[in-house]
Amino acid sequence: MHEPDIHDLSDDADYAAASKQGSSSMSRTDSSKRSSSSDPEDAEIVYLKDNVTIHPTQYATERISGRLKLIKQGSSLFMTWIPYKGQSSNARLSERDKNLYTIRAIPFSDIQSIRRHTPTIGWQYVIVVLSSGLAYPPLYFYSGGVREFLATIKQHVLIARSSEDANVFLVNNFQDPLQRTLSSLELPRSLAKGSPSSSFKGTPSDERLDKGTLEDNQLSNNIQQNNRQRQKNHDPARDISIQVLEKFSLVTRFARETTSQLFRESLVDGHGPAEKRRNNWASKDHQRQEIASNDVDDDVPKRVPVASDPLEFEKLSLVWGQPRQHPLGLEEWSTFLDSEGRVGDPNALKKRIFYGGVEHNLRKEVWGFLLGYYSYDSTYAERQYVVSVKKSEYETIKNQWQSISPEQAKRFTKFRERRGLIEKDVVRTDRSLSFYDGDDNPNVRLMHDILLTYSFYNFDLGYCQGMSDLLSPILFIMKDESEAFWCFVSLLERLGPNFNRDQNGMHSQLFALSKLVELLDAPLHNYFKQNDCLNYFFCFRWILIQFKREFEYEKTLRLWEVLWTHYPTEHLHLYVCIAILKRHRVKIMGEQMDFDTLLKFINELSGQIDLDPVLRDAEALCVCAGENGAASIPPGTPPSLPLQDGSIYQQQDDEVL
Amino acid sequence: MSYAYLFKYIIIGDTGVGKSCLLLQFTDKRFQPVHDLTIGVEFGARMITIDNKPIKLQIWDTAGQESFRSITRSYYRGAAGALLVYDITRRETFNHLASWLEDARQHANANMTVMLIGNKCDLAHRRAVSTEEGEQFAKENGLIFMEASAKTAQNVEEAFISTAGTIYKKIQDGVFDVSNESYGIKVGYGGTAGPSGGRDGAPAQGGACCS
Repeated sequence: MHEPDIHDLSDDADYAAASKQGSSSMSRTDSSKRSSSSDPEDAEIVYLKDNVTIHPTQYATERISGRLKLIKQGSSLFMTWIPYKGQSSNARLSERDKNLYTIRAIPFSDIQSIRRHTPTIGWQYVIVVLSSGLAYPPLYFYSGGVREFLATIKQHVLIARSSEDANVFLVNNFQDPLQRTLSSLELPRSLAKGSPSSSFKGTPSDERLDKGTLEDNQLSNNIQQNNRQRQKNHDPARDISIQVLEKFSLVTRFARETTSQLFRESLVDGHGPAEKRRNNWASKDHQRQEIASNDVDDDVPKRVPVASDPLEFEKLSLVWGQPRQHPLGLEEWSTFLDSEGRVGDPNALKKRIFYGGVEHNLRKEVWGFLLGYYSYDSTYAERQYVVSVKKSEYETIKNQWQSISPEQAKRFTKFRERRGLIEKDVVRTDRSLSFYDGDDNPNVRLMHDILLTYSFYNFDLGYCQGMSDLLSPILFIMKDESEAFWCFVSLLERLGPNFNRDQNGMHSQLFALSKLVELLDAPLHNYFKQNDCLNYFFCFRWILIQFKREFEYEKTLRLWEVLWTHYPTEHLHLYVCIAILKRHRVKIMGEQMDFDTLLKFINELSGQIDLDPVLRDAEALCVCAGENGAASIPPGTPPSLPLQDGSIYQQQDDEVL
Repeated sequence: MSYAYLFKYIIIGDTGVGKSCLLLQFTDKRFQPVHDLTIGVEFGARMITIDNKPIKLQIWDTAGQESFRSITRSYYRGAAGALLVYDITRRETFNHLASWLEDARQHANANMTVMLIGNKCDLAHRRAVSTEEGEQFAKENGLIFMEASAKTAQNVEEAFISTAGTIYKKIQDGVFDVSNESYGIKVGYGGTAGPSGGRDGAPAQGGACCS
């Protein structure tokens, strides 16, 4: 039983191959091959629509158009979306990006819901959400046809309009009594598989019947688990993945294995990676074993991958284990500034901060640069001017809500709601800190005013829980209302999508995270896949508020300034996630954690994570992942800049009350 | 600590109605007016005794803001009980109950026991929802109902325990197949896998020390 795999490793190998050859024709051949192979021979195309387009970024030149198809094969319905070949005129938009978004024959049994958006201005679009909780980017129907698309689906698959939102169409929804009844009558193949979150009772016993090898009556989870694994091991797609792994560039592969091995060791005995590494460069056979080994759980603690070439060891040691430095101090800081106060070499500064952070008393000044409140080439005088101009600009916006009279507020529900929410939340943010503790603390009042002013500065985004967590350290450092506000604004230019009502910013980061784990730790990825954990919701809090709840306050400040350097990547936070997960991978897999247990486990890591080693690991992982890593992160994934035309929040408009 | 059964609970309701305070009052027997707002989900646990059997309640306390609904929904999976909380001093939190309930019905298993709690009943002078209205809503939707106060601890213990009692009774009545963990029940030592499990003498599954 071969299930089409949306996270097929062949993607990554193709990227690797494409980037190695630097040839777009190569990937073009690939994608055409793929598109033909994804239309099975006995399949019937039941819907076809051209000019269905995704908008990876806000730039009109970076949109990708393609052909959307619904294909019926047997009793199953598949959806494909293949971008047009060679249409790209923009250098930033490579064939690789297109491959990343290509939807190759996703069966409707893997789809949870489809959301239709029909804005009054602009194109209609749909968002397809998978059972795993991940979502594809919005598909814009430039030539119309959303209604027909949904109608066609309805002819072949059981879908039901969500009772809470008429624009959401639920697929495979066994919780819905109507569908449950229908499915028990018909049980078409695509439905019988069920969605992972479904509590469809028939599934476990069906599985057992399928296997035929299990004679006993034990129903324990373990057995089902092993079964599932055995099945995976014989899955032809899995074999292909392994071959594909072989094709990875050697350095990347070596780095990946070594990385996971080093993590394992430092977990086991706490020894530094360096000396352990030397002990392990022995036989090549072990490396083969690592690649060929499919048996995830049994082998993990025992595997000993080693380098095949001493040269690679040299390469790796260059990237490995850059020790953390002492924070940037006043004296050194002055060497980065010219006589008028310009930062001559911003990259050198960022690099320096990446490796050591900033001394506390310098933060107020340096954070302004890192967040983009000051430009690096500004002089002392220009910055002073910016501060005063921005201050009056802030007052103007603040005055907008301050001038709302109680009478007017009575007729302004949205305002009252926001204000009420902010009032409730600022007194629930970091109150254990002396800066914010006590009754009538003026800093709490400042936080309130800044958040409410922000909700007028960006009315579409408004206020969402988590924002106070992001503001708290900024206000704590800046101490000044207007400066804290503008730094917060700069931060939210990057992280605003985290708080979108449809959570698309979070979804895109969780999607990228799953891609990166797949690249950097295939066994862990497979484990998550088998245990319905691929939505990565257990990393939700980490990403939403940049690990703010995971570290003590001072460590959070350090982590943030490191992340904000965007050195060596804008998405270091995703590698931080992986670094933490990797440190606990043996426990996670060894104890067979299910989604609930994993979520609880991750939650309870709060306060237990040692920042410096994690940062080193994250950097190493980022370097190891290299081009493949960058290719796994769709353009526009937060905290990438810039999302300028404001339309990112448009989706909210049709939903606001 | 060993238990006969473990029940998974989920606490839902609008932001600021006192979900985390109810949990803290139940698990730690204290009221902490100042604590950080919940992002994602928090966990609590406590042992109780029903019918002389030790039962562990594992309680998931969720974020209430509307924007987080899509993620909160993934926590319903496998919950045996839900505490649906509103604030008797804020009418809108009562008005949103139907939508919360619909979410729960849609994403949790059909046999989940739902307890409706009108919290902050110590603030009677600011009451905006009458007890009768709460009762009426509960009756219409087949829920158990109590007014409670996380601050004074009034009815907090009762709310959690009577929910557990209802779940326990459902097990005794054979409503659940407790070997199927999607019902939010794990069987530990000393528990029986319900009437059918007991008859077949199937060994109880599930860890006794599961956190």
